[in-house]
Amino acid sequence: MNKTFSRRRLIKAAGASAAVATAGFPAILKAQGGGTIKIGVPTILSGRVALLGTSSVGGLKTVFDKVNAAGGIGGKKIETVVRDSKGQPQEAAKVTRDLINNDGCQIIIDAEASSGAFAVHEVIREVGVLCIHTNSETTSLTADPKLHVPTAFRTARQGIHDAIGGGEYAARIAKAKNLKKWVTCSPDYAYGRSNTAEFMEYAKHFDGSIQVVEESWPKLFQPDYTEVVTKVLNAKADAMYSALWGGDLVSFIDQGNLYGLFDKLTCFMVNLGDYGVVDEVKQFPEGVHSGGRYNRTVPATPENEAWYQDYVKINKSKPTNWSWENAVAAQMLVEALTKTAGDTNGKKLAEVIKGMTIKSPWGADGTLTMRAEDNTLINYIIGYGLSQPKEPFISAFQSSNWQAILELEKQWKKKQGYA
Amino acid sequence: MEIDALARCFGTASCLVTQLTSGLIIGMLLFLIASGVTLIFGVLNIINFAHGSLYMAGAYAAWTLYQVTGSYFLSAAGAAAVVGILGVLFERLLMSRVYGSNVLMQLLVCYAVVLICDDLVKILWGPSYLSMGMPKEFRLPPYRIFGGVVPPFYLFMIVTAMAIGIVLWLVITRTRFGKIVRAAAINGPMVSALGIRVNLYYAAVFGLGSALAGVAGALAAPVRSLTPGMGFSILIESFIVTVIGGMGSIGGAFLASIILGMTRAFGSVGFPLFVDGVMFLMMALVLIFKPSGLFGRAQG
Amino acid sequence: MTGRWRDLGWAGLGLVALLLVAVVDARPAIRDFIMFAMAYGLLAMSLNLLIGYTGLVSFGHAMFFASGAYAFGLAMQSGHFSVPAAFVFAIALTAALALVVGAICVRLNEIYFAFLTLAFQMLLYNLILGWVSFTGGDQGLMGGIPRPKFLGIDLADRLQLYVFCSVAFVICMVIMRQIVTSPFGYTLRLIRDNQDRAAFLGVDVVRVKLVCFVISACIASVGGILLALFVSGAYPNFAFWTTSGESIFMIMLGGSRVFLGPLLGTIILRVLNDVTVVYTSHTELVLGIVILIFVLGLRKGVLDLIADRIETREQQKAFSQRDAADAGKAS
Repeated sequence: MNKTFSRRRLIKAAGASAAVATAGFPAILKAQGGGTIKIGVPTILSGRVALLGTSSVGGLKTVFDKVNAAGGIGGKKIETVVRDSKGQPQEAAKVTRDLINNDGCQIIIDAEASSGAFAVHEVIREVGVLCIHTNSETTSLTADPKLHVPTAFRTARQGIHDAIGGGEYAARIAKAKNLKKWVTCSPDYAYGRSNTAEFMEYAKHFDGSIQVVEESWPKLFQPDYTEVVTKVLNAKADAMYSALWGGDLVSFIDQGNLYGLFDKLTCFMVNLGDYGVVDEVKQFPEGVHSGGRYNRTVPATPENEAWYQDYVKINKSKPTNWSWENAVAAQMLVEALTKTAGDTNGKKLAEVIKGMTIKSPWGADGTLTMRAEDNTLINYIIGYGLSQPKEPFISAFQSSNWQAILELEKQWKKKQGYA
Repeated sequence: MEIDALARCFGTASCLVTQLTSGLIIGMLLFLIASGVTLIFGVLNIINFAHGSLYMAGAYAAWTLYQVTGSYFLSAAGAAAVVGILGVLFERLLMSRVYGSNVLMQLLVCYAVVLICDDLVKILWGPSYLSMGMPKEFRLPPYRIFGGVVPPFYLFMIVTAMAIGIVLWLVITRTRFGKIVRAAAINGPMVSALGIRVNLYYAAVFGLGSALAGVAGALAAPVRSLTPGMGFSILIESFIVTVIGGMGSIGGAFLASIILGMTRAFGSVGFPLFVDGVMFLMMALVLIFKPSGLFGRAQG
Repeated sequence: MTGRWRDLGWAGLGLVALLLVAVVDARPAIRDFIMFAMAYGLLAMSLNLLIGYTGLVSFGHAMFFASGAYAFGLAMQSGHFSVPAAFVFAIALTAALALVVGAICVRLNEIYFAFLTLAFQMLLYNLILGWVSFTGGDQGLMGGIPRPKFLGIDLADRLQLYVFCSVAFVICMVIMRQIVTSPFGYTLRLIRDNQDRAAFLGVDVVRVKLVCFVISACIASVGGILLALFVSGAYPNFAFWTTSGESIFMIMLGGSRVFLGPLLGTIILRVLNDVTVVYTSHTELVLGIVILIFVLGLRKGVLDLIADRIETREQQKAFSQRDAADAGKAS
C-alpha cells in the first residue's frame, strides 16, 4: 500500500489543523468584563479526589457570594473561574497559565493537591500574580527558602504544625496509658511519609520511651488494606498512628473493623474527623484519637456554626477541611482587595497580605495570621479529640498551644537548613 | 528489605494463617475480575479495558440495591444481573460494531466507556466516597484459627469466589454452551457455518464476564470505599493476572490470582516497598520466557 | 531527490508559520497551546513510527517521554550542564534505555509486545515514585528547572522558549519524515504488512524493529524535554500508562497511515480538552462521547478518512477518464 503524502493532502491537513486550532480559543472571543475581579481556581474536579475540588469551591462561595451580594469591592464584583486539572501537575500548570493569559484572571487561588501545587507555584514564580495555595499541606512548599515565591501564600494547614501539636498530645496519652510500642500506617507518598515521620519524631520528643516497631506504607488509592491491617495486628503494638485520608481511610476503617483493629490498639488518626469521612463510614469506631480537620463544634462558637449553616445552605453538602482553608483564602483576599481599593497587582496585594491578621471562626484565639517571614498561615485551630459514632462525631477536643508549636517549629527549621 | 520479618512470619502459625487468608482474599476478588477479562479475551479476542468500570458499576449497583432492599444477598445477585445486562448492552451496542476493525479501535471504545462511566457515577452518586458498611449478617467477631484472625465476611468472600470459579470451569468444560464457546474461540466463522448464531454466544460470554465483575464489585462494596475511578487500579492488576496466567485460560487466571494475592500479603511483610515492582517484574519475566503465560495456548 | 527537497521546503514553511504566529499574534495563550501540542505531538508522532509504520503497538511509549523529561530536568538541576548538553544527555540516556527495553521487547508479537512495554513502563513509573531522594517521588522535580543562557538564548523568556521549541519540533518532524520516506521506512512498512516475507527477503526483522524502537524513543524524549521546559518540572504521571493511552488515542483520532495524522489528532484532542474544560466540569463525559462518535461514526482517523476519500475520487476520475477515452475510441 503506497500512501505517500501528496501536496494537496498536506495543504488540506494544514488548513484543517489551522481551522481547528483557531476554534480552540472561544474564551478569547468572549469579551472581557471590565468591572469584575477575576480569580482563577485550578483544582481537581474529576477522578478519585473530585471531592477536593467541589468542597474547595464550596468554601470560596461562602465568602464571595456574600461580598457580591453586598455590591462587590468598590463596585467590582468577584468572579471565580474554576478549572479541572484532572490531578495532573502539567495540566495544572497549563490551566493556570491559561487562566491568567487567556481568561484574564488577575489572581489565582490554587486549590490543587500537593504535586499540582508545586507546578502552580512555578507558574506563579514566572508570572508574578498573587496566588494563595489552599490545599497543599506539604511543609516545604512555603518553608523551604529555595522554593520561595514572593507573591505565593498558603492558607492550608501545614504538616509540621500538625505534627508538633499532634506529637505533644500523643505523648501525653502515651504516658498516661503506658503506650510504648507503636506502629504506623500511612499512604506511601510525600505527604504520608513526611507527615508520619514528623508526627513520630515529636511524639518521641515529648515521650522518650515511645518506639516504632513496625511501619506499613500502603499505596495511595490502594483498594485493599487487608494485608496492611493484618501486618499491623501481627506487630502486637500498643498504639497506631495513621495519616490515611479520604476514601482510603474509609476503606481502611471498614476493613480494620472486620479484624476488630480499633479495639486492640489505641489509634491516632489525623484525618479521621472530617465530614467526608465520618458521614460515610457506617461502623464509625469509637474512642479513636482523631485530629481536628473541620467540625462544626470545633470551635463551638456561634460564628463557626453560622458558617457551617451557610455552607450547607449554599452547597447542599457538608464542608470539609478543604472548605475552611479556601474560605480563609477568600476572606484574606477580600480584606486585601478592600485595602488596595480593588487593585489586583500581585506585588501590591502581596504587601498587604504579608503579616495580615484577620478575625476568623477557625483562629485559635479568634484570629488568623499570615506569617510574614514565610507566607504561611498560623494560629489556626490544631488539636485532637476522641471520635464518637454520633453527632458531633468528635468530643473532648483539646487545642494545641501555638506558643509551643512556634518554638519547636523554629528549631525544626534550623535543623532542616530552612532558617 | 525486611527478609528476617518474613522468615519470622513463616515461623509463627498465627502470622502465617493471617497472611495466607489475606492473600486469598486479595487473590480471589482479583480472580473474579480477571476471569472475566480472560474469558472475553479467549472467546472474542478482545481486551476489555472497560472491565474495571464494570466492577465499579457492580459496587455502586450493590450499594444502591442495599439501601433499597436492606438485604446483602439480594443486592449482590441484583448487582451481578444489572452489570451482566450492562455488559451485553455494551457488547451489542458498541463493541460488536468494531469487531472487524483495528484492535486500537476496540481499545478506544473501551477508553470512551471508562471515561463516560466515571463521569456518570460522579453525576449519579456524587463525588464523595461511599461506603456500604458491613451487612448485618456478617457483623460477627472474627474467627480464630491457629491463633490467626479470619473475619467471617472474608471467609464468605473466599468461598463464594471459589464456588463461582468452579461453576465457571464446569460450565466451560462440561456443558454444550461451554463447548460451543470453546469452539467459537478457536474458529468463530466455522462455528457460524454450522448454523449456530455465534453473535448470541459472543454477547452471552460478554454478559457472563461482566456479571463476574459485577459480583466482584458487590463483594468489594462492604469493605472498599466507592469512588469514581475505583476500577482503575484493579484493572491493571487483573491484566497482570491475565498475562501471567495465560490469556484466555480460566485455570491460569485462578493460579495467577493466588500468586499475586500471596505476593501482596507476604510482600507487605518482607519487601513492602517493592510489592508493585515485583508484580510488574513477574509479568515481564513471564512475557520474556513464556509469552503465552503459565497456562495459555501459544498464539499462532 | 525532488521529494526530499519538497519536504524540506514544507518544513521550512511550517517553521516560518510557527514563528509568524509568535510575531503576529503575541497572545501567550496561543503560544502555550502550540507548545503543549508540540510536546504531545512529538510523543504521538514518534509512537506512530511504531504503530502505524512498523505495526508494533506499544503501550509503554510514555516511559521515554518521562525519561527525557526527568533526565533533562535532573541534569539541569545538577548545575553541571548547559541546556544543549542536557538536551543531548537526555536523548542519549533515553536511547540507552530504549536499546535495553527494545532488545527484550521487539522479539515478541502483537499483544505480548504491548503488555511487555506496559510492564517496563510501570516499572519505571514505580522507580520514579519510589526513589524519592533522587526524583522527588510523587511531587515531581521541585523548585523549577533552571535555564542558564547559552549562545545568547535565554529560555527563561517565554518568547525565546517558544522559538526554541518550534525549531526542535520542526527538526524532529523532518527527521521522522526522512525516515518514513527512506528505504528504511519502506522496510518498516514491509515488516508491518508481512513480517515473514520481509524475513525471506533477507531483512533482519529484529534489528530493524529495534532501530526503529530506539529512534522513536529518542524523539519521544524530545517531546518530554519540551514539556519539562514548559512546566518547569517533571512529574511521575509522564510515565503513567494513561499518558501512553492518550497518545494512542491521538494517533487513532488523527489517522495512523498518513504522516501528519497523529499531529492532527493531538491538536484535536488538545482543543477538545481546552474547550470542554472551559464550559463544563464533566470533561470526561464529553470526551468519551466524542470518542465514541469518532470511532463508531468514522471508524478511522480523520486524515486516513480524507486520504481514502481522495484516493477513491482520483480512482473514479481515472476510471471515468478511461471510460470516456474508451467511449471515444468506440465511436
